[in-house]
Amino acid sequence: MSARDAEHALRTALSRGGEWAELFWERHQTLQIVFDDGRVEDAISGVDQGAGIRVTSGERTTYANGNVADADDLIALAGRAARGVEEGGELHDATSVVPDEVAGHSTVAIDPRDVPVGRKVTLLRRADAVARGLDPRIQQVTATYAESIQDVVVANSDGLFRTDRRVRLNLAIHVVARAGEVLESGFESLRGTNGFEMLTDEAVAEAARMAARRAVLNVGAEAAPAGTYTVVLSSEAGGTLIHESVGHGLEADLNLKGLSVYSGRIGEKVASDLITVIDDGTDPDKRGTAAIDDEGTPTHRTVLIEKGVLRSYLSDRKHAEKLGIARSGNARRESFRFLPICRMTNTMIAPGTSDPAEIVRSVKDGIFVKKMGGGQVDVVSGNFAFEITECYRIRDGKLAEPLRGATLVGQGPKLMSEIDMVGSDLGYSTGTCGKDGQGAPVADAQPTIRIPSVVVGGKLK
Amino acid sequence: MSERMSNEAVVERGLDALGASGVGAGEVFLKEARSGSVEIKDGAVENVIARGERGIGVRILDAQRLGFAHSSDLSEEGIVACVEQAKRMSGVTEPDADLGLATRPLDDVDLDIFQRGLEDRAVGEFADVALAVEAAARQADPRVTHFRKTTASHAVASTIIATTTGVRATYRESYTGAMTSAIATEGGERQIGYHGEAARRFGELDPARIGRRAAERATDKLGPKPFKTQKLPIVLDPWMAMDLLRAIAPLFSADNVLKGRSLFAGKVGQRVANEKVTIVDDARRPQGLRSAPFDGEGVATTTRTLVEAGVLRGYLTSLKTARKMKVEPTGNARRGGYGSPSRIGPSNYFMAAGTDDAAALTNALDRALAITSLLNLHTIDPVSGEFSLGATGNYLERGARAFPVQGITVAGNLTHLLNAIVGVGTDLVFGPGGLGSPTLLISELSIGGA
Repeated sequence: MSARDAEHALRTALSRGGEWAELFWERHQTLQIVFDDGRVEDAISGVDQGAGIRVTSGERTTYANGNVADADDLIALAGRAARGVEEGGELHDATSVVPDEVAGHSTVAIDPRDVPVGRKVTLLRRADAVARGLDPRIQQVTATYAESIQDVVVANSDGLFRTDRRVRLNLAIHVVARAGEVLESGFESLRGTNGFEMLTDEAVAEAARMAARRAVLNVGAEAAPAGTYTVVLSSEAGGTLIHESVGHGLEADLNLKGLSVYSGRIGEKVASDLITVIDDGTDPDKRGTAAIDDEGTPTHRTVLIEKGVLRSYLSDRKHAEKLGIARSGNARRESFRFLPICRMTNTMIAPGTSDPAEIVRSVKDGIFVKKMGGGQVDVVSGNFAFEITECYRIRDGKLAEPLRGATLVGQGPKLMSEIDMVGSDLGYSTGTCGKDGQGAPVADAQPTIRIPSVVVGGKLK
Repeated sequence: MSERMSNEAVVERGLDALGASGVGAGEVFLKEARSGSVEIKDGAVENVIARGERGIGVRILDAQRLGFAHSSDLSEEGIVACVEQAKRMSGVTEPDADLGLATRPLDDVDLDIFQRGLEDRAVGEFADVALAVEAAARQADPRVTHFRKTTASHAVASTIIATTTGVRATYRESYTGAMTSAIATEGGERQIGYHGEAARRFGELDPARIGRRAAERATDKLGPKPFKTQKLPIVLDPWMAMDLLRAIAPLFSADNVLKGRSLFAGKVGQRVANEKVTIVDDARRPQGLRSAPFDGEGVATTTRTLVEAGVLRGYLTSLKTARKMKVEPTGNARRGGYGSPSRIGPSNYFMAAGTDDAAALTNALDRALAITSLLNLHTIDPVSGEFSLGATGNYLERGARAFPVQGITVAGNLTHLLNAIVGVGTDLVFGPGGLGSPTLLISELSIGGA
């Protein structure tokens, strides 16, 4: 994909009208190896190459996308985009594109494509052996290795031409433990925008131990209670809370429509003084990191909430312009098949000053969450829920028995105003965020925090 | 322009390349799809999306080792490279004596799942559907003030499968759908309500019903009151019931059963649900949204009763798992697209209609909770069967709505839930994704709240 090809495509896209055109081109190479039931069961390799061409005309956007093999395919696609524009408007020409470099934030010391596949299989075999060796109650292990190398080109009729390579790895371990009629699973993963050097023997073995330990712990755990409790969320638990309770509500598209609980509240107090929330697409090697977003805007460290005061939203080009705010580099798309939408990268609650151990000691009767799973939010009402995959009862300031099958629900702004202790530590977790049918790799982080009163979903005896 | 080979020619080249590569056996799967969507905002078209896709997935079985590669580069060289890559992948996996490719000829069946010309309809026709959805929602209740997103979409796809073991088959299908998230406003409060439906033919979509249902979902949530932690009977309307039915599907997977990941392992012939429960998987339902003549491995699809009056009758299988279980394959190796390998899953999968009048089920109860939305369904663990979900609902007294509730949880275990289905309505409805259910009454679930 050369600058000349891009210029030609942009001119074609604007040949029948429209004010602005953009080309997003992508080549995505993937390899997935699945070790399941004691053997390498699947080895899957693929190349997905395509482009999407967007033309805006007034309030209307036309987006044509598909697989493209060469420059001719690209021009045909641009022609399809142009035909979607209603004729009769003034003709605008695309300026010549000027390639420029945007520095990345990830290191790839070892390109995973240069690593023999046997080495990758060895890691999975090791994960399987470590997990199975932990406890006789473990009856199944699935270890999956996935590499993804996404090369993108973004060019637009303003003259932008930028490229990015995102090398992402994901080694995931799922363990099933059994005790009598009870089955439980444990999960752990190593994920980053990073080279193969992140997957050391030690890191993989530790992840396998964590997954196995969690499955065994849960199979012997009591059902979590239902009701309202004081909850301490460990920094180890990861950041699903901030992602669901605040992050989605700060996406600019929802705020332009006035639909989020945070709409029109910039400059207002929306959380406790202890809370500072940051989205940082430049955080080195993290799962949500990239040099540019999928509109070519350099990624950014954006302070969203500062000591409880709402400062900014997560924006793409269109919504930044309409809201009169700076582009934050948060326009992301799953692939060339989709228009970009406003979404998070790596989102965190900044560390505070409390000693994490002291936070646990401060609770007489409550619940300690050591690991969070997935979550979901209704951005209009602010109500969210997230899964807890490892938690314990706190009695008299000490961790007591493990509990299983818990969930936390609450309302974003309310919960953020009630958090009364924030630890000096910080822990990360990774996930794939879903919005409008598109998945995006993200990371979340938070320190240890205390929530004085929140609904815990479990079972009544 | 680069020469565009026909789909048939691409598959032919793939088979040639397989023959030339010296492997034991192989399969070429091709999918071509044209799709589009129209999104509206403030009564006008905001986004028009048109998508064209074509690619192949090649599976190789060499010395009982399986390799898979996929590509959208369908030039001569691209096809050969894809076959070579699949061959390399087969060198990575370990042998399994039960692996096999399809060999049986397929029957000729018309499932009425294709409408010619759907993809050529004007953008305006789809925009009209989306506009009609919003108009119906506004008309249903004046408190509907905004929409988060309203979309009308369509797709037309051709699928071809060909194996070196003699299977060769193709089918075409079409799809059209519309969805909206309506926002209801009252005082300073806002609530969202989602509803979407889909059909195989353009004229079969009912935009007014979609809009009305979304409006009802949103307005139902307005004015919630705090709710105590307690146990209550739970009413699931067909759409809510479908969400829980979907979560149960992995328990029927033969792969999960064989690998010790299903609570249904070893339970065939035993009671796994209340006797009112019958669950069917029917890949041959005329016009069904998940109907197909053959599955992702080229095996003929079937119609099966999975649970009959509470008794487990069998599992969903692929070629390999059927061989391991020494049963006939059921044709449930589903494939999302050319780039994904087949995975066991249901087709048109539904709870059969019961004999209870849906309204009478709740009228008979002093107190109950009718669920109106569930949060975090994707976190249900099919291995343990444990679920604990965020929810909104209507608190009912003698079947009448007393007040809405929000910020609560409902928790249980899927196996217990199946046994706790004490009422099954006559009102079976099919939704997107081929799921179907009538209204269900659950005897009791734990509710977390204040």
